[in-house]
Amino acid sequence: MTGRRLHPFTLLAIAGTLPALAWILPAPAGAAATLAVALVLTLTPGAGRGLTGTGSSPGWRPGSVVFRTALLTAAPFWVFLLVLHDVATTVAIGLRITTMVASFVWLVAALEPARLVEAMVAAGWSASVAYVFGATLSAVPVLKARARRIVEAQRARGLSARGGIAARLRALRALALPLVLSALHEVDERALALETRGLVPGIRRTPLAPPPDTPAERAARWALLLVCLFALFRRFL
Amino acid sequence: MRSLTLEGVGFWYPATESPALRNVSLHVARGEIVALVGALGAGASTLLLVAADLAPRVTGGRLTGSVARHDRSGIVIPTPWTQLSGMAFSVWDEVAFGPANLGWPPHEIAHQVDRALEQLELAPLASRDPVTLSGGELQRVIIAAILAMDPGLVLLDEPAAELDAEGARTLWRLIRLLAKEGKAVLLATSTLDALPEVADRVVWLEDGAIRAVGAPDLLADVAACDAGLGTSVATVWRTSGLPGPYPLTVAQALRRWR
Repeated sequence: MTGRRLHPFTLLAIAGTLPALAWILPAPAGAAATLAVALVLTLTPGAGRGLTGTGSSPGWRPGSVVFRTALLTAAPFWVFLLVLHDVATTVAIGLRITTMVASFVWLVAALEPARLVEAMVAAGWSASVAYVFGATLSAVPVLKARARRIVEAQRARGLSARGGIAARLRALRALALPLVLSALHEVDERALALETRGLVPGIRRTPLAPPPDTPAERAARWALLLVCLFALFRRFL
Repeated sequence: MRSLTLEGVGFWYPATESPALRNVSLHVARGEIVALVGALGAGASTLLLVAADLAPRVTGGRLTGSVARHDRSGIVIPTPWTQLSGMAFSVWDEVAFGPANLGWPPHEIAHQVDRALEQLELAPLASRDPVTLSGGELQRVIIAAILAMDPGLVLLDEPAAELDAEGARTLWRLIRLLAKEGKAVLLATSTLDALPEVADRVVWLEDGAIRAVGAPDLLADVAACDAGLGTSVATVWRTSGLPGPYPLTVAQALRRWR
């Protein structure tokens, strides 16, 4: 089963349920179980197009890219936790945080922003609100692509991102400043473009191809909510 | 019948003292193509943003004078990569983004999108992911996306900037076709050689104010050539020290030689 075949609301429900259960269920067993599920999801075929920007980009590998991204994103949290806490606490909180990170990375990879917008509009949400959700998810590949272009431009000017820590920090500064400034500049131009293309408050957008939402998926979403409530009840009452 | 009327328009961007536009009065009729020319910073892009009702509503700033818009407008900004919706994985969906926002019925959206793709010769690219397109292809997609919304007033800021020679020729033909259909076209361009064949009127902007308005012959004017706003033929004629009046096009130059 690929993430892209599921309704966007179902993907959101799964990505929300796993972190919720990770924090509700007793650690480390409960968090380890939710993390295992989240990591399996990152290896699901079909996850990856959203994260890489395009499925046809060179070196694109569906699952492994998402899996690796999830682990690399979570790694710094483990370092900080180990500095601040004992091993048992580090493992307990680390597993939960990694579940959150892996679920979010999988969601960004599996959920096409356009399908989410279509689904939200079809469900009666305002197009502007739906766009904000969609744009948030699409920000990751957009920023990643821009960062790659900036790195290439800086390399062409002789800046190397390799070497010792000092050289890497210099390279990071040369990347961060243009990345932030160009992102801020693009926000202005994107706002003008969206306005002129009719994305203004109060519009009634026509759903072009609303994703099918089957009764089984709707039932599954309710079931996920009930599982969370049941786990909460068992844990605290 | 006028599509756009500006009367004594002045505009200041936020936190700036000097105006980007000063006392601009201009009208564009339906079926007319008006070209804005001028040096960098002359105010052509700002004038288009004002005409599109984006300045000061979205950009901020202060507007004086009056602007009357009689048709819905669509504007193409010169950086196509910042105009992608980010919500489409195919060119067809990208072009349909605007019409869908207008709440049109699906069959009308499909009709307008297919028509715009044909006009820009983009039908073979309809299923391509927009992020995989070249700059020129992307520019044509954005122009198609605006035309698919069927605006009465088409505003184009350097529309040929990313296009190759053939793509630019297709665009200029399309602009003439749009005018024939009754749309008003206001465009800012530095591709001056195309204007004698395309524009009905040329507006020369300088420091945010209108310096001259006239037929495309204006681009063979001595003062325009002095300001770097003459066509290539007029500029070469002038540089060669040949006597005026300068020819505007190759055809005019040939007639003068004979």
